[in-house]
Amino acid sequence: MGPRCDPVSPECRGMTDEAVGDRAAGGYERGVLEPFEVFRQEKDGGPMVHGGSVLAPDPVLALHYAREMFSRRGESIRLWVIRRADVHELDDPDLLAPPLDRSYRKPGGYVMRDKLAAARERAGTTKPKARDRSR
Amino acid sequence: MTTTSASILVGLDAAVRAGLDALLLSMADDEFVLGFSDSEWTGIAPLLEEDVAMTSLALDELGHARALYELLADLRADGRDADAIAYDREPAEYRHCRLVDGGRGDWADTIARRYLYDTADAARLAALDGGAWAPLAQLVAKIRREERYHLMHVGAWLERLAGGGDEARGRLIAAWERLAPNAATVFTPLPGEAALVAAGILAVPLAEAEVRWRSAIAPALARLELPMPPVTASPDCGRLERSDAFRWLWGEFTAVRRLDPTATW
Amino acid sequence: MTDPLALDPVLPRAERQRLPFNAEATHSERFDAFEAHVVAGGKIEATDWMPDEYRMAVLRFVEMHANSELMGVLPEREWIMRAPTLRRKLALTAKVQDEVGHAQLLYRVAEDLGKPREAMFDDLLAGRTKFHNVFHYPTKTWADIGVIAWLVDAAAIVAQQALRDSSYAPYARTMQKICWEESVHIMHGRDVVVTLAAGTPAQREMLQEALDRWWGPLMQMHGPRSDRSKDRDLHWRIKAKTSEELRQEFLSIYVPRVWELGLTLPDPEPRLDEAAGEWRYSEPDWAELRTVVTNHGPRSEERLEFRRLARAETAWVRDAILSAPSAAA
Repeated sequence: MGPRCDPVSPECRGMTDEAVGDRAAGGYERGVLEPFEVFRQEKDGGPMVHGGSVLAPDPVLALHYAREMFSRRGESIRLWVIRRADVHELDDPDLLAPPLDRSYRKPGGYVMRDKLAAARERAGTTKPKARDRSR
Repeated sequence: MTTTSASILVGLDAAVRAGLDALLLSMADDEFVLGFSDSEWTGIAPLLEEDVAMTSLALDELGHARALYELLADLRADGRDADAIAYDREPAEYRHCRLVDGGRGDWADTIARRYLYDTADAARLAALDGGAWAPLAQLVAKIRREERYHLMHVGAWLERLAGGGDEARGRLIAAWERLAPNAATVFTPLPGEAALVAAGILAVPLAEAEVRWRSAIAPALARLELPMPPVTASPDCGRLERSDAFRWLWGEFTAVRRLDPTATW
Repeated sequence: MTDPLALDPVLPRAERQRLPFNAEATHSERFDAFEAHVVAGGKIEATDWMPDEYRMAVLRFVEMHANSELMGVLPEREWIMRAPTLRRKLALTAKVQDEVGHAQLLYRVAEDLGKPREAMFDDLLAGRTKFHNVFHYPTKTWADIGVIAWLVDAAAIVAQQALRDSSYAPYARTMQKICWEESVHIMHGRDVVVTLAAGTPAQREMLQEALDRWWGPLMQMHGPRSDRSKDRDLHWRIKAKTSEELRQEFLSIYVPRVWELGLTLPDPEPRLDEAAGEWRYSEPDWAELRTVVTNHGPRSEERLEFRRLARAETAWVRDAILSAPSAAA
């Protein structure tokens, strides 16, 4: 879980107001309840995956609530919270999957069985034996 | 339970065992009663997400209580299990501190009580960390890791109530006035405590842990303009006087079990 | 190292063409395209265009589900205090916590469809929206806790599993998470029940008496039989099974398990009609169901009032952390 902090003065990044440093000198600043998107990592080396969202008045409580909603059973090893208002979305299919042929970007766009056969014939060679994949 | 009853008692003389009995019972009862109070917020906390969070804190305390009662059962090795210790006593026999003895109260009471208890408990646990009796030292190490979150969460709420406008601050101050006079009862001297210090199970007497607690919370209280908890009035009774609120709670939590204490539930 | 020549095309062709209903078009063209998409098994996200009928149908469905999780906390909550062992107390508290968590997940789905959380609480507490029948009844003994955690949760899970493929994707995803968490609840419930069934005569009697009281509401829980062709929630694929299909599934799994414990059911009729492959049972009291879900059940008003008071008593806390009274984005 990271370096052990002195339990009486916890300073874990993002989980306390001091660590976040966004507290005004005069005290807590009231906010608005807004959605924070929660991303979670399920196992070591895995990707951050969207899990859902929490309503919270600020990022500190949002992180506490993400822990409650998405890791009560220890199912996450890392959590991110991001204000929904800070998420920038693209979902336009014309931009994400444009319609004209782009097979030059994909392995399936290269079919060379016949050309290979012709090249072998010209060179008088045979197809190499399949490699032993168990090694 | 990580070892057999017989092996964990090796090296403990009668005085140390008596001290451990009193220590474990006081800690387990503290966690049990606090866990009960806080679980009263389940379903009706101020925010839905906060409901889940406060219930987790309550569940953690109940889990700590269970582990401590189990260790105590192993220590006593008299046939009574953790449930028997937790449930089968009269109200006057419970040894939780006066800080957690009152009813749940409102949200300000809960946050004030939790802040005072969790910070005091942290000092108590620090005094037990790495102690000479392995089963307790191992349990304390795990509990301390869980308690970090409690301090973060309750600390965040103390900030928000202290700075949350006149009404919130007013309620917090009122709760503080009710509860702070009993805050130091977490450190009530225990019978047999000296033996625990001599055996290296407690690093320092509880009175010294109290001093360390006060210096640890002083900066935050100064910043939030909350008064330092006073010295406890009648310190020796800190774990003896039981309130009507606790007697009511006892009636509730023993209700089903008392239908038939020999039955399996 | 893999031989690149041996690779099949591994990147799937993009199947999601520009969804016609998200494009600019007449309302009727968008509606038809939307309907075709959903009926063919397509999914809808919160930011997609939706016809009002669909949006309102999903919102109503999800809101009632959220309300039910929230109100469902109250019958069991009374017994958190009285759980007779440490293990039962931990399990029951965690179960009720899960239900609050499920309420949160479901209210979030409904909020993202456009209705603020406070407005949903207002409507619930004023009796304008509903919650499921079973949560309007009293819990009288510890055995009720076992019966609820086992059979009421089982009946709910049968419905919830069928919702994991809902056309409204945020709801479907939420149901997948909920179903994963609910599987523990049934284990807890069944353990409480089996412990009582194997216990003292007084415990067995307590259990039978609780079952006698809960069976009627359980049989009403999935609702009256509906005409598949007229069910709009089925048409929009918000849900996938009819009330009767859910009830049959519940009966086929759980009646044998109840009988296995030597318990009897107050319904003298339940039996499996082998030829038809269906369970026969006494007709549930639909009048009782209607009375109860319109908030005239034995505990309806008391529980709503309890919630109103709790909400009023904690209003100052929300005001302390929000810049405007109960402000929400």
